[in-house]
Amino acid sequence: MSEFFSMGGYGRYLWPAFLLGFGIVVLNFWMAVSALSSAKQDAKRRLEMQS
Amino acid sequence: MATWTWFHRFGSPPWVYGFARRWAPWFGGAALLCMLIALYGGLVLAPADYQQKDAFRMVYVHAPAAWLSLMIYTTMAVAAAVGLIWRMKVAHAVAAACAPVGAWFTVAALGTGMLWGKPMWGAYWVWDPRLTAELVLLFLYFGYMGLRAGIEDQAKADKASAMLAVVGVINVPIIKYSVEWWNSLHQTATVMQMGKPKMDFDMLWPLLLMFVAFALYFAAVLLIRLRAELLRRERTASWIREVLT
Repeated sequence: MSEFFSMGGYGRYLWPAFLLGFGIVVLNFWMAVSALSSAKQDAKRRLEMQS
Repeated sequence: MATWTWFHRFGSPPWVYGFARRWAPWFGGAALLCMLIALYGGLVLAPADYQQKDAFRMVYVHAPAAWLSLMIYTTMAVAAAVGLIWRMKVAHAVAAACAPVGAWFTVAALGTGMLWGKPMWGAYWVWDPRLTAELVLLFLYFGYMGLRAGIEDQAKADKASAMLAVVGVINVPIIKYSVEWWNSLHQTATVMQMGKPKMDFDMLWPLLLMFVAFALYFAAVLLIRLRAELLRRERTASWIREVLT
């Protein structure tokens, strides 16, 4: 297992690269969902003010 | 004439909103599945490279991120051009939804490239044509988003930012061909080239699957962001009440 994580000595570059890349994948998804949720709340608030 | 009716539907915000709501979970689920299989294939099953050893595995995150940064910019420019030519509001919303996702993937491409560059080139950053052009792409995304945020009038913001997106698309072929046009430390194309790819199939399939996963992921995130953008833009439209209640 430690051999897998060391990646032939390149682990200290490889794992941060994967963390960065897939961290951005997760972050982007979370930001999109959060933008949608906030847009929905704004729209609902406007509708309530109109009615 | 009938063949073009599908295209007309994409001009209708309520139809696009419904389409995005239905399809985003499917794209997201398929992306996750492909990503997990590609990760297992790339990190566990693929053999080490004879020159770069295990460091080559960075290709499974760097190449899809870099490819996506270019694909998103191209999508944004095409949507912006459609918005400019046909005055389609949904097209401008698509372009606006693309920009933050594209900027983040440009950051991912640059960051992962730096982490790959250190053990291979001995430096995190060099002013290489490919790297410099990718950095210019990041500034183009920032410029696009800054321009949109800086202009209050929606129609003017759409028009100005669309022009920037269309003009900036010239940077996409520059990034792609920079490794052939100029002396570069960056390797030339290994997958996207005419004829047979240079990679062995055992290394290639996880990479191709990761490209598919990133494309599906982008479709899912774009559709979610598009819904948010449409809700924000169509704040006075009657269809908003129908979709929210």
